[in-house]
Amino acid sequence: MRRISLVQEHLEGAAQGAEEAHEALTMEGLPEWISHHIEDAREIEFAGGHWSLESLALDPIQLGSLAIDISPTRQLVVMLLVAIILPLIFIPVARIIGSKGVEKAPSGFANAMESLIIYFRDEVVRTNIGHGADAYTPFILTLFFFILGMNLIGLTPLGITPTANLSVTAALALISFVVTEVAGFRALGPRGYAKTIFYLPSGVPTLMKPIMLAILTPVEFLGKLTKPFALAVRLLANMTAGHTLILAIMGMIFVMQSYFMGVASVTMASILMILELFVACLQAYIFAMLTSVFIGLIRHAH
Amino acid sequence: MFDINLGLTVWTSFVFFALLFILWKYAWGPVLSAVEARENRIQDTLDKAAGEREEAAKLLAEHREQMADARRRAQQLIAEGREAGEKLRQEIEEKARAEGQALIERAREAIEREKEGAIQALRQEAVDLALAATAKLLRENLDEERDRELVMGYIEDLSKRAGARA
Repeated sequence: MRRISLVQEHLEGAAQGAEEAHEALTMEGLPEWISHHIEDAREIEFAGGHWSLESLALDPIQLGSLAIDISPTRQLVVMLLVAIILPLIFIPVARIIGSKGVEKAPSGFANAMESLIIYFRDEVVRTNIGHGADAYTPFILTLFFFILGMNLIGLTPLGITPTANLSVTAALALISFVVTEVAGFRALGPRGYAKTIFYLPSGVPTLMKPIMLAILTPVEFLGKLTKPFALAVRLLANMTAGHTLILAIMGMIFVMQSYFMGVASVTMASILMILELFVACLQAYIFAMLTSVFIGLIRHAH
Repeated sequence: MFDINLGLTVWTSFVFFALLFILWKYAWGPVLSAVEARENRIQDTLDKAAGEREEAAKLLAEHREQMADARRRAQQLIAEGREAGEKLRQEIEEKARAEGQALIERAREAIEREKEGAIQALRQEAVDLALAATAKLLRENLDEERDRELVMGYIEDLSKRAGARA
């Protein structure tokens, strides 16, 4: 695999990049170059520097025959960065809102964040989950802001997007799935919850019941599993697609080696970046929204 | 891109739940409870304002009624006063008329009495004059008794003629 510095992504670094590049980027090499920038790795390339994470490698966890490699990767580092930034933003916001009390009107940035939080509570959680929805508000809020943070940080020059990795989106979808099922179990009880898997429509003749169950149970089961699968793939695909497109357009500069291509690529990439900004917010919103829809659905099942 | 790195999946779950715990406890929880407290406060204030407005409307209606009542009573008092005045005037008039009537009556009676007296006196004077004239005319001695009868008859005749004339 050719190692081409991330500096080449930036126009101003083009000359320096050419010096450092082992060989010129070709049309055939472009896909590999793109996946190199999107995929996870154990090194961080930023502003011409390389930081290897190999020294932080941890011993794998053994679960029976399964060995889980928990060594940190660059996407994990970025994820942790998001997990640090979010409390740094929202804990002071909470403090400001708390100190205002009930007598003073909210203002400024804290008010903007408060509006966002209230929007999620009223329009996303309460609307979709219904009675007893407020208990799920912190979960949905965390889901939204965590995904939003990871989507947005990929648009910075750092260029590392944890949500463009199936390992990450699958974990988030799995959490959403588990919370949904637990919510269903708690709202419906063991018998009611069992009905969401072994569903039998009323009015079926006794003789037909086993046959119906044999047909419907896999269908119901699949219905449950497609939801988190769709969540994981939707987020992954959306975050990967935009980055791939931007990298392809920027890569053309180094393939073509022309000033005209540079101007055209930067213009197009800038427009795409604006679209990406919108997609980053939209996908985080959709993930949080659909999770509350699923929780609402299972709580009011049948 | 599509091969699962289980380690990263485990990390993601761990980071998510850690973040959920921290944000729930120190961010979402306080914000949501503060917002709820403020919402309740605003609702309370609105409710109270609505109650106060209702109270004010009630007070205004009461006040208006009182005003109308007072005006009605004033009108009544004025009417009563006017009526009393009218009655008093009539009474005074009545009394004055009665007194006047009585005065006139009394005067008439007095005049009547005076008239009677005058007639009586005139009559006496006429008798005396007639007697004196008769005595002067008839210097001869006549029967006193016969003279008197003659004169009385004459006077009777005279007074009858006077009565017919009156």
